[in-house]
Amino acid sequence: MSPAQPEALAQAAPSRAARGSIHVAGVAKAYGATTVLSGLDLAVEAGTFVTLLGPSGCGKTTLLRLIAGFIQPTAGRIAIDGRDMAGLPPQRRPIGMVFQNLALFPHFSVEENVAYGLRLRNVPEKELRRKVGTFLDLVGLGHLGSRRISQLSGGQKQRVALARSLVLEPSILLLDEPLSALDLQLRKQLQVALKEIQRELGTTFVFVTHDQEEATLMSDRIVVMSAGLIQQYDTPPAIYSQPANLFVAKFVGELNEVPGRIAGVTGNTIEIDGPDGRHALPASGLRGFSPVPAAPCVIGLRPERITILPPDADASGRITLPGTVIERIALGPVLRFILRCGEQRLVAVRLASDGAALPEAGAACRIAFDPADAQIFEPLAAPAAASFGEKP
Amino acid sequence: MTANPKLSTWAGILLLISLPAPILIIIGASFSDTSYIQFPPEGLSLRWYRDALFDPRWPRAFAISVGIAAVTAVIVTIVNFMAAYYTQRHAPKLATWLELAIFSPLFFPHAAMGVAMVALVAQFGLIGTAPGIVLAHLIVTLPFSYRPIHIALRSLDPDLVRAANVMGASEWRALKDIVIPMCRSGILTSLLFAGIISFDEVTVTMFLIGPNISTLPVQIFSFVQDSATPVLAAISTISVLITFLAVIILDRVAGLTFFVRHDGA
Amino acid sequence: MTETQPASPAKALLLLPVLVLLGLFFASVFQLFSNGFADADGWSLRYFRQILNRSDYQVIFARTILSSLTVALLSVALSYPIALLLWRLERWRNTLLIVVLVPWLVSLVVRTYGWLVLLGPKGVINGMLAWTGIIEQPLALMFNDLGIIIGLTHVLIPFAVISILSSLLAIESNLEEASGVLGASRFQTFRRIVLPLSLPGAFTALIVIFLASIGAIVTPIVLGGMSHQFVGSQIYQEVMYTFNLNKAAAWSICLLAISFLSLLLLKAIERRLIGTLE
Repeated sequence: MSPAQPEALAQAAPSRAARGSIHVAGVAKAYGATTVLSGLDLAVEAGTFVTLLGPSGCGKTTLLRLIAGFIQPTAGRIAIDGRDMAGLPPQRRPIGMVFQNLALFPHFSVEENVAYGLRLRNVPEKELRRKVGTFLDLVGLGHLGSRRISQLSGGQKQRVALARSLVLEPSILLLDEPLSALDLQLRKQLQVALKEIQRELGTTFVFVTHDQEEATLMSDRIVVMSAGLIQQYDTPPAIYSQPANLFVAKFVGELNEVPGRIAGVTGNTIEIDGPDGRHALPASGLRGFSPVPAAPCVIGLRPERITILPPDADASGRITLPGTVIERIALGPVLRFILRCGEQRLVAVRLASDGAALPEAGAACRIAFDPADAQIFEPLAAPAAASFGEKP
Repeated sequence: MTANPKLSTWAGILLLISLPAPILIIIGASFSDTSYIQFPPEGLSLRWYRDALFDPRWPRAFAISVGIAAVTAVIVTIVNFMAAYYTQRHAPKLATWLELAIFSPLFFPHAAMGVAMVALVAQFGLIGTAPGIVLAHLIVTLPFSYRPIHIALRSLDPDLVRAANVMGASEWRALKDIVIPMCRSGILTSLLFAGIISFDEVTVTMFLIGPNISTLPVQIFSFVQDSATPVLAAISTISVLITFLAVIILDRVAGLTFFVRHDGA
Repeated sequence: MTETQPASPAKALLLLPVLVLLGLFFASVFQLFSNGFADADGWSLRYFRQILNRSDYQVIFARTILSSLTVALLSVALSYPIALLLWRLERWRNTLLIVVLVPWLVSLVVRTYGWLVLLGPKGVINGMLAWTGIIEQPLALMFNDLGIIIGLTHVLIPFAVISILSSLLAIESNLEEASGVLGASRFQTFRRIVLPLSLPGAFTALIVIFLASIGAIVTPIVLGGMSHQFVGSQIYQEVMYTFNLNKAAAWSICLLAISFLSLLLLKAIERRLIGTLE
C-alpha cells in the first residue's frame, strides 16, 4: 500500500511557521528516592524526526511522558515552540501522541476516532468531515472510515492512531514504541510510511524505541539514553562513526572490544598495551576519554573495519595480528567472519562479492586494521555493562 | 465423596437440580385449581393470578418494590462510581481504607443490620416511609454495587484517558466520552445487581415498613405467617420471574462468570 | 489508572456521598450499641444479664449457634460437588451458573415459602410419601430444628458454590490435568491440588454462611415456628411486637460478638489448616 497519497499530503500540510521546537533544560524526574532522569538538556529543532533510543529502563519513556505532560518534572523546564510547559496538562499542550498499545477508542468507529479531537475543538461539521477524509486518505484508510476498530488489522489500527493525532496538526507528535507489536514485514512498511509522512508534513516527531536499526532508519537525529542520562545526541551516521562513549558504540551497531591499558601519551599518539603487545594509535580515536597512563581502556573496532588477509600478506601502514577463521557465514550481501586472535574473539564483516579472495573456516589468516579506525573508550561502569547482560 | 468421579458428578448434578426445586414447586402450585396448595396441582387455572391482580395490596406492594429497587440501584451506582473513580484516579492510597469501610456491612449478621437500620431510620423519623427504606437499602447494597464498578474502572486502559487528554479532552470530558461509556457493562451490572438485592430484600426491610408502605417480599412474609394461600404462589412466581429476567440481562450485559471471577475486591 | 493526577480539592467532593452513607452506617452501629447498653431509664446492662441468665434464652443461643454451624458445614460440603461440576464443564458453565444464581438472587422469603410447601404436614413430601404408602402419619419435617437447617442450607448453598468456584477458577485449569498426567489418581489430585487450592473459597463460604445463618430471621420463623426460635426470631419479636429496641439491640450486640469471635476463630483455623496441607 502506498503510504502517502501526494494530493492528500498537499492538503494535509498546514501552512506552517516554525512550529515544533522542543527545549529541555535541566529536567530531572525522581520517584521518592529513585532517580529516573537526572538533569537532561536537549534542544530539538522544528521539523526534526528525533528518536529517543535506549534499553528499557533508560528513561526514554519517562522523558516522552514529561514532554506530553502526563507527569511533571522534579526539576528543570520543558518548552515547546518557545513556550514554557510547566504546569500545563496534556490537553493544553500543542502535542499529539501515538501510544504503544495505540489506545484507539473501541466504542467509536474509525471516523469517530479521527474526528474526536476536532469535535473537542468545535470544528464546524463540514470542515471536520473534510479534514477527517483528508487525513484518512493520507494514511491510506479513506475507504474504511465507517469500520469499527475491532474490524481492523494491526497495521490499519496503527494508521488510524496516526491519523487521529495528525488531524489536529500538533507542533509535535510523540510516538511511544508504536510499532513494537507488529511483525517484521509490516513494521518495515510502516517505518517507511511514517518517515515519509513526517517529511511531507514537517511535523516534529519524537519517536521512542529500543531498536537501534529502526532508529537509524527513520531518524534525522537520535538521542541515545542510558541510566537516566543522555549519552549522545546526533545524526545517525555521526552516532555510528563517532560514538560518544563505549555504551553508545555498543548500543548502536556491532563492536569488537579489545581490553587494554594506557601505556603512554606522546603528542598525537596513544600507546596502548593490548593482549598481544603494545600498539600506537592516533589520538583522534579517543572517544570522550582523556587517557592517563596505567588507566584501563577498551579498543573498539567496527566489524567492517577489519580486513582479513592471507597469513603471509604485506600490510604496511596497518596493524596486523595473526589469527584463525573459526566460522565463515554467508548473510546475503555480506560475509560474516568469526575470528580468533590469541584469547580474543573478533567479528569481521566483508562484502560477499570479495568472497573468493577470503579464507575459509579453519584457515590461518592475518587480521589487519587501520590504526585510524580504532576507537579508544573508557570501560563501562557496572550499571551500563549490566544493560548488555555483562558482568563488569 | 470425590473418590469416585462418577459419584461426585452425579452428586453434583442432583444437588444442582435441587437448588431451583422449591422455586419450581411454587411456580407449579401457582397454576393450581385448588384452594390449598398441593403438588402436583389438580387442574390448571390462573385464578390465583387474577386474585392477586384484583387485591389492590399486591399491585401496590409490587410497584413500591420496583420503585425502591430502581431508586436504590441508581443512587448506589452513582455514589460508588464517584467514589471508585476518585480513589483510583486521584487517591489510590485511600482505596484500601475505603474498600474496608464499604465491605464492612457484609460482616454484619442480617438481624443485627436490621436493628441498626431501625435505629438509624427512626432517628430521622423515616420509619414507614419510602425514603427510610431506600436509605437502608443503599447501605445494604453498597458493597455489592461497588465491586463491578471497581473492576470496570480498574480494567480500563489508562492510555485511553491519556489519549483523550492529549487530543484536548478535559478530565470531565474524558470521563463523559471515554470512561463512562467504556465502563458501561460494569455500571449496568451494578444497577442490576443492586436492583435485584433491593427488590428481594426482606430481613432489614420488614422492620422499616409502615401501615402505608410495604414491599413485595415483606408482604409475602406477613402472609406466609398467616395463611398459605396459593395467591402467594402466584405472587412469588411473578417475583421469581423478575429476578430471572434480571439475571438473564446480567448474563447478556456482563456474563455470569462475573460472579465467580477471582480478582481482589 | 496508575498515574494519579494532582487532584483539585473540588474533586474530593466525589467522595462525599459515599462518606455520608458510610457515616450513616457507622452512626447506626453506634446507635445500636448505645441502645443495647441501656433500658427505658438510661444506661443499663439489664438486657445482657437477662439474655445470659435466662435458661430459655440460653437454649435459643445454643440452637442458633449449633444449627448455624451445621448449616455452614453442610452447605460447604454439599456445594463442593456442584462447584467441581461447574469447574470441569467449562462449556456449560454459564448456563449452569443460571441454575445457581437465580435461586441465590430470588427473595429468600420465596425460597423459604417453597420449603414450607414442600415440608409442611400436608406438604409435597409428606403427600408423596403418604400417596406411595411409605408412611401413614405425616413426618414432622418442619417446626423443628430439621426444618430450619434444611431451609437455611438450601438458601445459603448457592453462595458456597459461587465462593468455592471462584477459588477453583483461580487455579490454572490445566493444573489438575498435569497432576493426572503425572500419575496421581483422581482422589490424590483432589486431595493434593483441588482441595488445598479451593480452601480459601471454602473458608470464605463457611464464615459468610455462618454469619448469614446466625443473623437469619425469616427462615427460622417460617420453618421453625415460635417453638423453635433463633436469636433472629427473638429480635423480630422484640422489634415488631414488644417494641423493645433496647433489648433487640442487646440481642444484636450478642450476635455481633459471636460473629466477631467466630471470624477470628475460623481465620485461625484456616491459617493452621492451609499450613498443614502445604
